[in-house]
Amino acid sequence: MIKKIKASLSEKITFIFLLSLGIFSLTSFLLIKDKCLFVKDYNPLKITFDNPKNIAILNVPCGNVIIELYPNVSPNAVERFKTLIKSKAYDDVAFHRVIKDTLVQAGDLEFGKKGNLNYGKIGTGKSGLGNINSEVDVPFNFKKGSVALARTQKYNTEDSQFFIILRDEPLYETEYTPIGKVIYGLEALKKIKYLDKSQYVLRPDYINTLRMLIN
Amino acid sequence: MKLIKILILSLFVFIQAKADTIYNLIKIPNLEIYEINTSNKLRYLYAKQPFTIGIDNNINCYNSEKKRLDKKYKIIQKNLNKYDQVFLKKINLKYIVLCEKLSISGILTAGIPDHKMKTLIIDIKFDSKYFERVLHHEVFHIINDGYKDYFDEKEWSKLNDDNFKYTACSTCSNKTGLYVYKEFNGFFTEYSKSTASEDMAEVYSHIISDKDNVELKINNDPILKKKVEFIKENILKIDKNFKF
Repeated sequence: MIKKIKASLSEKITFIFLLSLGIFSLTSFLLIKDKCLFVKDYNPLKITFDNPKNIAILNVPCGNVIIELYPNVSPNAVERFKTLIKSKAYDDVAFHRVIKDTLVQAGDLEFGKKGNLNYGKIGTGKSGLGNINSEVDVPFNFKKGSVALARTQKYNTEDSQFFIILRDEPLYETEYTPIGKVIYGLEALKKIKYLDKSQYVLRPDYINTLRMLIN
Repeated sequence: MKLIKILILSLFVFIQAKADTIYNLIKIPNLEIYEINTSNKLRYLYAKQPFTIGIDNNINCYNSEKKRLDKKYKIIQKNLNKYDQVFLKKINLKYIVLCEKLSISGILTAGIPDHKMKTLIIDIKFDSKYFERVLHHEVFHIINDGYKDYFDEKEWSKLNDDNFKYTACSTCSNKTGLYVYKEFNGFFTEYSKSTASEDMAEVYSHIISDKDNVELKINNDPILKKKVEFIKENILKIDKNFKF
């Protein structure tokens, strides 16, 4: 005959403690794994904009990033950006160059597409529309959230690649062609995948979609 | 010992790769902003620590003490303010790097221009007697690198006496003196005789830094007169509004 052994009070407390610890650990693990947990996702349809024709919605893994474009600062660059957005060219394109708390860069349409990523050439790809001239003469304050077209070491080599700065970069004025500024959702960009030792990202995050608010 | 090695290795693994905006722009490490709010949009940077750049790391420069930096900055800015933003854009000059004991392959030098990177490195400890003129000398090298067709060395050499020949390079002879001759005979300084481009830079630097006297000085020297005209004519091709 098996005799029932009653758990003592201290054993009960230990059991409850271990159970709570297990639940806490599991929850923490799941929460920490979700990098977007505390990032606010903005719904552009619920926001009133002064100039909705110049609003672009960049959807990234942690939500929407709302960008106001400045055609009065750089008409040709904004036109190129809008052209590529309207053709949905930026969808599924990698954030191939990311520097923590500094900048995120995307827009290599040739070597940065999901499923067709070329790590050897990423960052050198073209859109097929040709280069456009740099527009760097209008004074522009490169504050956190500014969006600009990337280029090679030479001016007038802008095409489809763009970057968004996550900190103020006053030296970028007259260096890069500004096209706009993030007005909502900069936090989502801070969660884009980066590497500690390299600016170029292995298995990068992608742009889900990039659309104009009004087509 | 193994533990120490592991600790050192783990340090490298976990240290964050930081973004150096200045390095990304002009490929010179260890610099910081000195002043960027200038009327002609020149950006003044200074060496926070010594830096080494160039092929085989042959260019070296050292950081300065703040007092010297502040003193020399005023002189440099006063001189470079002679160039407006439009002209500086045309000649592709944007960054001025301030450091001291600047050397290339072990030879001390006043400045190193890099037209491609829009940068001029200046040794702020360079001989104060020639310092201001040397600034314009180095600016000319930036101009020359961008407009080789205008400043044709063969055309320039023809302005000299038939029997005169420049040396193969600016450091190929002992003709490095920057003192101004009393009798010119076609050259402002001994250094002018080293190469055609150094000669042009010397003439240009005299036109800019000593414009009130240069016309008088060249009156009795037909070669030098032609050289001054050559430089002025071609600078005006770059920017017709340039004020000498």
